[in-house]
Amino acid sequence: MVLSLVFFSFSFGFYILAALFYFGNWTLKKKWLGQLATSISYVALFSTTMILIMRAGESGHAPFSNLYESMVLFVWGINLGYLILEYRHKFKAIGAFVMSLAFLAMLSASLLPYRFKSVEPLNPALQNKWHWLVDLLSKVGLEKYAIGWLDFHVFTTFVGYSAFAISFGISIMYLIKNRSEARGGKGGLLAAFPDSKMLDELGYRTIAWGFPFLAIGIVSGAVWANYAWGTYWSWDPKETWSLITWFIYAAYLHARVTRGWRGKKAAYLSIAGFLAILFLYWGVSFVLPGLHAYA
Amino acid sequence: MSIKTGAGAKTPPPFYKRVGRKVWLFFNSLKLTLAVMLTLAFAAGFGTVIEQGLRPAEYIRAFGPKWTSVIYYTQVNDLYHAWWFTALLALLCLNIIVCTFERFPPKWKALLNQKPSGKFNARIISNCSHNNTIILATELDKAREKVLAVFKKKKYKTQLTTASDGHYIYAWRGTLGRFGSDIVHISLLLILLGSILGGFYGYKDNKIVYEGDTMTVPEAPFQVKLNKFWIDFYDTGQIRQYNSLLSVMENGKEVLKKQIWVNEPLYYKGIRFYQSSYGSAWDRIKRADIGLLKKDSKRIKTTVSVDWGKTVPLKGTPYSIKLMGFAADFAYDNATKTVFSQSAETKNPAVHIEIYKGKEMISNPWLFLNYPGIFPAIPDSEDDLVFAGFTGIMYSGISLNKDPGTNVVWLGALVMGLGFFLAFFITHKRLWIYIKSEGNSSEIKIGGFINKNQFALEKELKDIVHRIESD
Ligand code: HEM
Repeated sequence: MVLSLVFFSFSFGFYILAALFYFGNWTLKKKWLGQLATSISYVALFSTTMILIMRAGESGHAPFSNLYESMVLFVWGINLGYLILEYRHKFKAIGAFVMSLAFLAMLSASLLPYRFKSVEPLNPALQNKWHWLVDLLSKVGLEKYAIGWLDFHVFTTFVGYSAFAISFGISIMYLIKNRSEARGGKGGLLAAFPDSKMLDELGYRTIAWGFPFLAIGIVSGAVWANYAWGTYWSWDPKETWSLITWFIYAAYLHARVTRGWRGKKAAYLSIAGFLAILFLYWGVSFVLPGLHAYA
Repeated sequence: MSIKTGAGAKTPPPFYKRVGRKVWLFFNSLKLTLAVMLTLAFAAGFGTVIEQGLRPAEYIRAFGPKWTSVIYYTQVNDLYHAWWFTALLALLCLNIIVCTFERFPPKWKALLNQKPSGKFNARIISNCSHNNTIILATELDKAREKVLAVFKKKKYKTQLTTASDGHYIYAWRGTLGRFGSDIVHISLLLILLGSILGGFYGYKDNKIVYEGDTMTVPEAPFQVKLNKFWIDFYDTGQIRQYNSLLSVMENGKEVLKKQIWVNEPLYYKGIRFYQSSYGSAWDRIKRADIGLLKKDSKRIKTTVSVDWGKTVPLKGTPYSIKLMGFAADFAYDNATKTVFSQSAETKNPAVHIEIYKGKEMISNPWLFLNYPGIFPAIPDSEDDLVFAGFTGIMYSGISLNKDPGTNVVWLGALVMGLGFFLAFFITHKRLWIYIKSEGNSSEIKIGGFINKNQFALEKELKDIVHRIESD
């Protein structure tokens, strides 16, 4: 419990700083602020990874088994995804939006009541390991660390969520930038944004990662449900909402190949998709009754 | 009046063809796809707000009688199986099928049989969103070899046309990526097919099996026996796992033995057996302890353990006892004059026994664990019998599931994975290159198109130019 908390506190600080420095870099246009922001993001990534590793050590199972741990995983995914994006395309203005999201996620994780945070042994339905992996790892005495469909399911789902979070940030930027371009606005703060065509493309690329990951998440969840509950699909609210979000993003992809639906409408769909994700993630757990423990 | 007939006159296509064409066009629309997807998303969301599969009384309590009748009329109480929800899914299927029929064949022809198109108009290059011009200080044919070598290294297919004014090269790769979306669409049909198969040829069932009992399995040439049920605990006392040890019996012989737990089913000949619930039996026990005492004393003189359904003599006495029945929470229904258990909990355990003296049954009382001696067990006798303890029987709730469509669904999922990979990560790049002589050197113009991911093309072109320029 202790070490993971230490790393959590550190990471929390790093995310505040990263978001602030990205904002500073964007508004003040100081290059060194941007470099600082990027370095801190790398440190934050390391620190977040350590939270997960420590949690795994403390609980003896993969660190994705309650709401708190899943939030950390979510933040980890956002950070990693963002850094890859920045490394490839060098747009630091996006960081101001995306790292703020990561910070908000950290904040809400820290505000969770204790019962969502504590290290718990797994209840019967959550225990599932791949036999082949257990056999393989037991040769070196590490069978404790074998994972199963559940861990795979949560991990892929959250990689998907993270990608969608990034595309959400980008879609908002797109709408802002698109409006200013339509008005012929040039300079000002928005000059640091990539142009709207680029933002559209970047939003698409992140969704092109998120969509298959969410699909793998849904399918692996179905495989697991087939083990645990006896049916691969039972229209449980969480399942249903994951399908809903998936449909919204499918609509987004098709909107992009449909005349008259490109750009703005697609961006709205991407935003709607992320709102559905938020509901899928938080709303369903607290509002609707169902079989899922959390995420 | 004149009726004109003749080869020259155009008759409008017959009515059914015009309608057919309209229907076809309706289904061949991406706007329909968007509409159906968003409607499905909305409807499915609605189904999570109205709780599914409640009893009418519960809906009336929550929504009142008027809305309850609306709920039943629109079938939103079982929304995912409502005819209109199924119809939406069918609409999506038709949409996919028509779109695929319409788009796939021409795409296939255009992409896979790239016949030499000969010399192309060099203006196509300047029309490309990405284009470059390179001057190489080599003669024309060397420049051509260089360019072709670079494309070969980068695994492009090329097609060279030489004309009097220079070389025309068309280079392409990643054609397969264009079929990704078709593969995704076909995979969706497969998944739906799988779920339909499961609906028609599969079944679900729940069985309660006592330890030691054998359950019959519907539509199967075998039975399954429950040898044992038990619960594992963590040190903290929390439940760790529920387990059942099952044997598959064929013609009375055990052919397979397997321990199942939540998340670890038994799979045999197309049927899965899951651990789904458990409990202790409320109408049966393994054995009961019966004690003998004198009516006016509280001290039990002898006890005997009687197994379920067995008759056992009570040593040192003329009596034998047969264990007939059990109720975990005794209740008596006056109307039907029957005994039953009010709940599954052992609140008021009672056993039903028959008492024999020699061969003759002298009494068949119910005895209560919590109320010894409340009714005399043997009328007109100094002796009395009490219910002193028992060993219960656990049962295991086993769900059975036969779903021959499951494997089709998994196959569909795999195909979908392949489709995603092709659609999102294999891009179709097409490049046009025109090389002409400029004195002692050669001018190379390159332009390219990509179906998606403009960044990838930008990067690719940079790399190609770099490779051509360096030696
Ligand atoms: C749940 C249903 C569907 C899913 C999940 C789905 C999925 C996809 C995916 C992943 C792509 C590739 C997108 C991209 O590369 O950016 C795609 C493209 C496409 N889909 Fe669908 N699709 C669905 C239904 C349909 C339907 C019903 C139609 C019928 C009109 C359709 C027509 C198309 C077309 C025309 C493309 C573009 C093809 C291309 O650019 O090569 N889709 N779809």
